[in-house]
Amino acid sequence: MTALAILVALGPLTGPAAALAGARARLAGVAQAAGAVVAFGCSLALLATLDGGRPLYAWDGFLYVDALGGFFVMTVAAVTLLAAVGSISYVAAQEDDGELSGFQVRLYYSFFGLFASLMLAALETGNLGLLFVLIEASTLASAALVGLEGRARSLEAAWKYVIISSLGVTIALAGTLFLFYSGSGLHLGSNLGLTWPYLVAHAGALAPQSLRLAFLLAVVGYGTKVGLAPMHTWLPDAHAEAPSPASAMLSAALLNTGMYAIIRFLAIAHGRLGSTYPRAVLLSFGFASIIIGALFMVRRGNFKRLFAYSSVEHMGIIAVALGFGGVLGLYGALLQTLNHALAKAVLFLSSGDVSLRYQTREATRVRGLLTAVPVTGGALLLATFAVLGSPPFGLFLSELTIVRAGFASASPVFPLLLLALLGLAFVAFARTTAGMVTGSPPDRLASPYRSRTAVAVTAAPLVLGLAALLVLGLWIPIGLDTVLRHSIVVIGL
Amino acid sequence: MENLAATSAAGVLLDLSGVLILLLAFACLASKLFNRYVVYYGAQSVVLSFAAATAAVAFRSVELWILAVLTLAIKGLAIPLAARRLLVTRLALKRDAAMSTGLSTSLIAGGALTAFAYLVTRPALLPHGTVAAAVVPLSTAVILLGCLSMVVRRHTVAQLIGWLIVENGVFLGAITLVATFPFIVEAGIFLDIVAGVLIMVVFVSGLTRQLAEASAAELRELRG
Repeated sequence: MTALAILVALGPLTGPAAALAGARARLAGVAQAAGAVVAFGCSLALLATLDGGRPLYAWDGFLYVDALGGFFVMTVAAVTLLAAVGSISYVAAQEDDGELSGFQVRLYYSFFGLFASLMLAALETGNLGLLFVLIEASTLASAALVGLEGRARSLEAAWKYVIISSLGVTIALAGTLFLFYSGSGLHLGSNLGLTWPYLVAHAGALAPQSLRLAFLLAVVGYGTKVGLAPMHTWLPDAHAEAPSPASAMLSAALLNTGMYAIIRFLAIAHGRLGSTYPRAVLLSFGFASIIIGALFMVRRGNFKRLFAYSSVEHMGIIAVALGFGGVLGLYGALLQTLNHALAKAVLFLSSGDVSLRYQTREATRVRGLLTAVPVTGGALLLATFAVLGSPPFGLFLSELTIVRAGFASASPVFPLLLLALLGLAFVAFARTTAGMVTGSPPDRLASPYRSRTAVAVTAAPLVLGLAALLVLGLWIPIGLDTVLRHSIVVIGL
Repeated sequence: MENLAATSAAGVLLDLSGVLILLLAFACLASKLFNRYVVYYGAQSVVLSFAAATAAVAFRSVELWILAVLTLAIKGLAIPLAARRLLVTRLALKRDAAMSTGLSTSLIAGGALTAFAYLVTRPALLPHGTVAAAVVPLSTAVILLGCLSMVVRRHTVAQLIGWLIVENGVFLGAITLVATFPFIVEAGIFLDIVAGVLIMVVFVSGLTRQLAEASAAELRELRG
């Protein structure tokens, strides 16, 4: 089991290895995808062997995987797989066009694999200090992806991203510090005092004053990575400027990793402070994010920014669901995490294909996608409906669960407000993407790909992701249900 | 360790170091020359490493000794020297003109933030009479001052220094609040800082090449 966990984290390093060995875009891409397959396969095997029962605990808790960790590992590994397959033809087409030099391609795969591997490792540690270290390291690795294209705009976005996120994560470190301090009455010893299962087991003995501060600092700090408003300002720029498969990784994997850290702190805080204080914090940041996300989606412009603001909105929804709490709220939050990750991966990967073909990222200059590129256009349209929470896709189910949780646990004002904001987001988002897929396409659209295989490789992750979303909307596989239920027990709200 | 009395020799030295670190953060906030930013940051890190050494003696901790040496070598020497050579000298940076407020306004704001730090960290949070109760408000103030200088300065290099000052504030708190942070974690944090500075230096250089002046004020393309 330990070997499986290590293999999950090391799997994505095949891409960097190939890139450092000097492989060109296609070969490095295939190597990266192969590594992602290994990581995803191992993450499923890890979940199966965990079976919710006893968590994996090794090396003084520096390696710790329970059902919750396993679920997030599986989500991130799935996104990595989709994005790695999507990278193959995207990066190769950019290389053929001369948009990216050989050096930039090697840089891309070096940091793509490193980024994925650091996130997976962060999800597999039980030590909250190491969690901070790995999340900060993944920020740095992904900043290189954001600034990859080297133009003033992308460097600006990368700078904004790295400085705001680093500051945010440093605040989370201060939170970790106060958490450690709140447990100093326990005499757990230095490693154990930061180890999550011990802290959560002894939550009742933690000092409440510093625990409050610790939780707030952690939500603000890791919330910067999650993109909770008002700490979200780096997010639209970084998502818009990164190469599309990297945007998919940012939106569908990195944000979830930050949310995972918040959930770990939430479980401890809940164990000592009860539900009122954490709920107030999470509902405030959650609703702020949903409102900001929905309002900025009204603006028409760069479609990748639109998707980015939708991520802000969805992270807000997850925070609100965590705030509602209860079995329903947590079930909805976790399901929403998985569904949003899949839908956003499909959206960003199809946006990559669109921007390659139309040579623009402006929504108003994209027309007739369904006629010109039926697969991508169809995927964009379906993923739009999926991400907006319409049936029969998974997000409908998870958002319904969250609204129900709201009615069950909090005042009915909150779920009603949530519904209204979801409606606003629906109109704002669909208005833009509907314009992109309909209409008549421009006369000459050169295909950016050199071969039919490349076209098929582009379509593969879109179809896969949508299929998974559809399945999750109609039926929750028994294994997944078990994992979700065990995760809820782990969080223990 | 959190019970170290404020009146013990080590407690007094730690308190003194904390005050010096806060003063150096103010000095940085009050200056307008890029050279000075780097010098003040370096001096602050040297004092921090002295504080870590003091704590190491008081707690007889080998790990804290290693931490003190690492702080001196990396934050006190390597980062300031590298920042000076790679940024200030190479990009010919002299006076920092990209500020959103005047110096006096930012100093007054800094004073207010320091008072705020004392207000929020004093009551009920820390046991009375311990060195932590004396130093944690100082370190909180340093964190807030670092944030303030990131906000009022729009130049990328100044923002980088601001982040490093925030980092120093967190470390000062860490030394006095919880002297026994696991060593692997401390080492990892150091690694992150070094990698962070490296990658930020690359971005700053790239941006300076792209724009005539690498002032974040001119980074206006991405909005909304």
